[in-house]
Amino acid sequence: MDRRSFLTALGLAPFAASPLLASSGAAGVKGKAEHCIFIWLGGGMSQADTFDPKVLGDNKSTTKKRGSLYPSIETSVSGVRLSEHLPRTAKLMEHVTAVRSVNHKVIDEHAFATNLVHTGRMISGNAIYPSIGSMIAHRRGAADPSVPAYMLIGYPNVSRGPGFLGIKDGYIYLVDTETGPNGFTTPSDVDPAQKIRRQELLDALGGTAPEGSALAEYAQAQHEAFRLAGPSFMRHFDLKKEAADTRLSYGGEFGQRCLLARRLIQGGVRFVEVSHNLNFINGAGWDAHNEAIDNQHILIHELDHALAGLIEDLKRTGMLDKTLVVIATEFGRPPEFDAKGGRGHQGTAFSMILAGGGLKHCGAYGLTDDFSKTVVKDPVSIPDFHATILAAMQVDTSKDLMAGGRPVPITDGGKPIAKLF
Amino acid sequence: MRKILPFFFALGCASLVSAQTTPAFSFNGEAREDLTPVGGVKMKQPGPRRPDYPRFDQKNLAATFDGKGAHLVVKDTGENSVFDFKNSDAITLEAWVKPDGLRKGENAYVIGKGRDDPKSATPSNQNWALRLRVLYDTACLNFLFATPSVKGIQWHRWTTPTGFANDGRWHHVAVRYEFGKPESIGGWIDGIEIKGSWDMDGPTTDAPVVDDAPVWIGSSMGGLANSSFRGAIDDIRLHRTLVPSKEIAERFATTLPSVTKAEIAQVGASPNAGNDSASGVKTAKAPVVIRKAPKVDWTTVTHGQVRVELCEDWKPTANIWPEKALTVTDSYAAPAFGFARVPEKYVDTGVRDERGHPYLLRALATVKLPAGKHRLLLRGRGASALFIDGNLQVQTPFPPAGTDNKPIKDQDSFLDLGGDFRFAPPGNREAWVEFESKGGEHRISLESVVGFIFNTKGARRRPELGETIAAISLAGRTDWQLLTPSAESPNYNDAGWTAYAAEEENRLGKIDAAARAAARARQGDYWQKRREAAQQWLAQTPETPVPALAANFPANNPIDHFIAQKVVAYQGQVKAVKTGGVDFYAKVFPIFEANCLECHQGGKPKGKLHLDTRAGALKGGKSEGAAIVPGDTVKSPLLTRVRSNDPDEVMPPKSHRLTATDIATIEQWIKEGAVWPDYRTLPTTFNPLTEDLVFLRRVTLDTIGVPPSLAEIVAFTADASSDKRAKTIDRLLHDPRAADHWTGYWQDVLAENPNILNPTLNNSGPFRWWIYESLADHKPLDLMVTELLRLKGAAAAGGPAGFGIASQNDVPMAAKATIVTTAFLGMETKCARCHDAPAHTAKQEQVFALAALLATKAVKVPLTSSVSMAKLREGGRKPLIEVTLEPGASVEPHWPFPELSTESVADELALDPKDPRDRLATLVTAPQNERFAQVMANRLWARLMGRGLVEQPWDWERSKNSHPELLRWLGRELVRSGYDADHVLRLILNSHAYQRATEPTLRQTSPLFASPAPRRLSAEQVVDSMFATTGKPFRTEEASLDIDSIREQANSVTLGQPRRAWMLTSTSNERDRPALALPRIQAVCDVLAAFGWRASRPDPVTDRESAANSLQPAILSNGTMGTWVTRLSDDHGVTAMALEAKSSDALTDALFLRLLSRHPTAAEQKKYSGYLGEGFAGRLLTSSSKAVAFPRKPDYYVSWSNHLNDRATTVRMQQEAAARRGDPPTNQLQDEWRRRAEDVVWALVNSPEFLYN
Repeated sequence: MDRRSFLTALGLAPFAASPLLASSGAAGVKGKAEHCIFIWLGGGMSQADTFDPKVLGDNKSTTKKRGSLYPSIETSVSGVRLSEHLPRTAKLMEHVTAVRSVNHKVIDEHAFATNLVHTGRMISGNAIYPSIGSMIAHRRGAADPSVPAYMLIGYPNVSRGPGFLGIKDGYIYLVDTETGPNGFTTPSDVDPAQKIRRQELLDALGGTAPEGSALAEYAQAQHEAFRLAGPSFMRHFDLKKEAADTRLSYGGEFGQRCLLARRLIQGGVRFVEVSHNLNFINGAGWDAHNEAIDNQHILIHELDHALAGLIEDLKRTGMLDKTLVVIATEFGRPPEFDAKGGRGHQGTAFSMILAGGGLKHCGAYGLTDDFSKTVVKDPVSIPDFHATILAAMQVDTSKDLMAGGRPVPITDGGKPIAKLF
Repeated sequence: MRKILPFFFALGCASLVSAQTTPAFSFNGEAREDLTPVGGVKMKQPGPRRPDYPRFDQKNLAATFDGKGAHLVVKDTGENSVFDFKNSDAITLEAWVKPDGLRKGENAYVIGKGRDDPKSATPSNQNWALRLRVLYDTACLNFLFATPSVKGIQWHRWTTPTGFANDGRWHHVAVRYEFGKPESIGGWIDGIEIKGSWDMDGPTTDAPVVDDAPVWIGSSMGGLANSSFRGAIDDIRLHRTLVPSKEIAERFATTLPSVTKAEIAQVGASPNAGNDSASGVKTAKAPVVIRKAPKVDWTTVTHGQVRVELCEDWKPTANIWPEKALTVTDSYAAPAFGFARVPEKYVDTGVRDERGHPYLLRALATVKLPAGKHRLLLRGRGASALFIDGNLQVQTPFPPAGTDNKPIKDQDSFLDLGGDFRFAPPGNREAWVEFESKGGEHRISLESVVGFIFNTKGARRRPELGETIAAISLAGRTDWQLLTPSAESPNYNDAGWTAYAAEEENRLGKIDAAARAAARARQGDYWQKRREAAQQWLAQTPETPVPALAANFPANNPIDHFIAQKVVAYQGQVKAVKTGGVDFYAKVFPIFEANCLECHQGGKPKGKLHLDTRAGALKGGKSEGAAIVPGDTVKSPLLTRVRSNDPDEVMPPKSHRLTATDIATIEQWIKEGAVWPDYRTLPTTFNPLTEDLVFLRRVTLDTIGVPPSLAEIVAFTADASSDKRAKTIDRLLHDPRAADHWTGYWQDVLAENPNILNPTLNNSGPFRWWIYESLADHKPLDLMVTELLRLKGAAAAGGPAGFGIASQNDVPMAAKATIVTTAFLGMETKCARCHDAPAHTAKQEQVFALAALLATKAVKVPLTSSVSMAKLREGGRKPLIEVTLEPGASVEPHWPFPELSTESVADELALDPKDPRDRLATLVTAPQNERFAQVMANRLWARLMGRGLVEQPWDWERSKNSHPELLRWLGRELVRSGYDADHVLRLILNSHAYQRATEPTLRQTSPLFASPAPRRLSAEQVVDSMFATTGKPFRTEEASLDIDSIREQANSVTLGQPRRAWMLTSTSNERDRPALALPRIQAVCDVLAAFGWRASRPDPVTDRESAANSLQPAILSNGTMGTWVTRLSDDHGVTAMALEAKSSDALTDALFLRLLSRHPTAAEQKKYSGYLGEGFAGRLLTSSSKAVAFPRKPDYYVSWSNHLNDRATTVRMQQEAAARRGDPPTNQLQDEWRRRAEDVVWALVNSPEFLYN
């Protein structure tokens, strides 16, 4: 019995590939990515102020003028412009496609839209749908079966969960780069010698459970957990192992999260969701209503720094073609301004970003009107966007997931963006 | 059309000044052509009237405006009209106004000339205007006009810094001004002159803009909402003179009690110089509203008790004190002036409702005080007032209007009256005062307005008391006690309040239980009738006889007879199987399972062919007779089909063919006679009864969800009576913790899914409280289900109405219909929500018929709950699913399962046969529907035995019933006992089958129930057992993101202070904001989730995942909760044991008993006692000086109201770090030895044994 099937047989699948479902011979388009780093901008990134710049507006004068808040700059792809606060990314746009024509109909509720963008489906009372991370973990397992398939740097919630696929396709999470993964970081007051003594006490209990029994199975899972809490897995979390230059190139805490994500995929994790949730920078994070917009440019700068750092680093380490970087957000924001110069929510047209992953990038895909209010060309639905990620990750989108005995299409009728393959 | 009336038609009641030049608008019913209503203006509305406003008659009328641009237009008559004002003209404007809620930043036009059309060439032609400018939550007086200048238009705005509160009353407002003389300005509210100041472009001697623009009443700027008046206006007058102050002062009169403190506060210059928005308004203060002593009937007050009166029928439309005596709608007795909540309100048969709120709470008592100058402290979440002998001593204000950006630094100032003074918890306001008593009895009354109004449309805050208290610090002392009429004064410090609140909660729990019992008794006659009808039905229907006990089988009760009978029958079957052939269950059935059963089993198999039973395969489907002919490989169509090359013929369809090996196996098996026993090889020998302690642990976990305590173990061991197991079962069935154990189960089965922040993602109300109370009351199951389906009570309060909610769902009641069928009828209808189920008989129409019964009206099938048949047919082959209901089809309420019970049952037995919900409840629960009683009995069985008699309790169609006779007998026992779940539980728990020793190698209990398989504890049991056995208190944050109750009730619930795992829910941080994390709750949720608990429950689930995975041991061994239960802090149960232990041997034994409910083996004793023995003698630290940090200060808190503040994130991150660190270790134990004891606790709670039962 090889290690992979050994773990699977024990129901330890968070850390194992599912050989039955490992994808091969995907129908339709198929990419070549092996890993995905999914950056989540909670709150709703304003497309007009970032990846889909338009004519300059004015948010503070008495007669407000709709439009972008910042001037735009040229990029490495001719004809594609970005906000001036994305200068480093602008130089790398040949590796990036800003999908500017993403759209859905949910606007008023963050949790609802967050769920939609993560699961690709509207809610129903009949099933909890799996997140994109869980779907990929389910279909592809971890690249190295000794590490988890799906990790989350952010807060746990149902939208990020495995839904009907079950716990084995769920995430291991950490809330920041200092604390390490929940359940695998030894509490700070327990020293290594004590850890050993504890295990000796545990081993002295009750003799061995009969082979094949539920208790024996749990004991096996426990050994696996202790192994993961050891250096072979935990070393990935030690960012100090990176060269100072590399760490600097990623920027602050969010950048360090992206660096950690790169280390994790290098270690064999299949999918890492990285949340950009440091809302204290401007109060509301990307949910820039009212005064929260005043410091929005700092967030954008931070994103630029980390994203460019990540792309450059992946390129340097030869991993860019194998690693799909996604920037997702629950919705965009309208070109108009609210009473205090901030912006509301807009789901009808907004941008999400794809980078690397072996796709044929074109800087920008899809077209919105003069104010990025409506999509005028190449609309991309959330299911389409999911299908694109799945196809890039070599997942056969024609095969259904199973909710108990019930087949559920992996996307709700989504079609990958053909131009990128 | 309105009729012409004289324009200068002065009305009103007060004396008039210059009547002939005074345009007035009294709205008293006369139609006037000069007034053109635009938008939502309503005439003939009640105005200020006698007796409250004596200047008006009793039928006085007013006009109301919708605040969205509604206005009355008065045309200007041209040059030099009566409405035109130039320099040196004098103007006095007055009006009676009653705004309908104030919104910060509004500039509500009462009346003004010009500035009516923003699109005109002269949009700023404001000649004059009287407005209400809402600063903070106060309506301030405002006069506005524009002057042309070289720089363009200049705005001259005079504003008062204060005004009247949103109190739902009529107010008189007036301004006067002589153009060209800025110092001539004056303003009055309710006859009191208010100082104000010129802001924006300042005072001017310049002349105002004058043109022929119209006069607008109620709005301006083309109807801009922010400039519109919302509410009622009456008696507007415009004078072309400066009306003397005295006359203006006299214009206002009311008999209502005074609402303002002495007079409206005079603040300095208008705080909001600058543009015409709401910025810079922080210094404006709402006036303090003085509460006058109410008239109290002291004869109702019993000596030695606090009488608490609740007045709920008040229904104020603004945040005000009641002006008239209120009817007392409820009252109860309390021991002291300390309130965290009031008794719950129950309606119907005893389901939670909400009290009408805001309501007034009044607490009355005669309290004896010693002579001296004492300090009094008053705290409340709502506005509160404390009276002694009819005199107001101290009061607290109404809560502030909602905000979501309250600075954390506000918490830097707090009241600290020294000593061990208890700091005010979040969301409470407080005040203190000195009071001198001559000694003796005083009549004390505390009043509080509970709840807070946002607007008149019904938006309110939760009616919470927070910590509403009156406390006293006696002269010469530094400590505080709650005021009380009894001899014992509860201490009011942190420990004192915690103890008092816990005792009060216990007492109120009993009051609540009594109220529920009384409510239930009110419908006692009906339920008596139902009981009699059930007995009648039992008498009229055949019994299932209990079989005689087969020889050599053990039996405790009839259950064991049925079990033995089945085993004997199976043994007969096994004898018929020949040895040496193809093992059907090992070789053949797996092929069927993987390739055929998806379509060929259940109530609606494809081609009507069943391949899940031998009988089905031999009978065959509709097209070609028997699928299998035993012994004949040529005539068996099953073989022909799997070998076929014809795409329309081949099975399985869809291109995944059987392998040649599989086909050969099937062929060989058929050749050998297709031997197919009922079950795989099953063990038929029974294990003996468990040892006593194993039994005690099992039965305790299965009834109350946690292992037995040390005391319970000792008592049970000491009991030598032969019926001690039965006695223990009875004791446990009546243990209050039994309700805790079963609540989690029903939360899952009924998809209880509240959210603490904004209802999203199929959220229901928090009807967990109803589930819990139903279980605590041991409600008959038919009553419980009836209550659920009647959807009564209040959703917000936790009543069954909350079951009726499914937020963001296109057909909530269809979602609920699926829950009803799976929970109570054993019918899986998930698929039928959108189309007829492919593998079940359920049709979409049936789901929608149930939905219609719940909705009490026809329900339409929306496009989003449908699939397109055209799309399904695209593939060519016949689609697997069918859609027989077109989108848009409307389904009337009717009972869709006539095979279970007939509509006549509802006619006969429903409480109200006309009410669709009553009908539904009756048709589900009446004994005639035998399925219901059996589904419920099977659920209880499955949970205790580890396997259902019908294996999938929610889906009878696709699982076998292993013991139909036993289940029918149990169902009838349930009916016979009056649907008493405890009766069935008692039967099962007392059976030999339940009490047998487990077979450790079994993965699942076998269908013969020969011996139980080990069962893993449920997620809730894992968590609750960790806390219960270690004795570490279960302590998390309040399950709420609005702990200071600032948000609207509809958007924020609190699930209270959790004490058991079922009380938790998702922390709902979909926004991903660190400031919205609840670190302690999350730490427990992480454990729960690893063991299969769902933080969010949009759909019903009966069986959770129970497979082991490495997250489980990881989170227990290294997670935050693991640290809490392991660390020997002062409040940890093992700390006390360690301090008192006589020897390391004794401690080891006690720890094993406590954590694993067993004694250690000799080897374990040696290892563990040896480990604890090192340093045991010197483990105690003599110095137990506890360092107390000075100066004391309250912990910062984060709630929705301040979470956007940058410091909130820092505070939360500190809380997160503190949670991860855990409580500090005790300083009563020597460090090195304490760590050893912790290692032992760690090993015991992390042992696999801990998790299995």
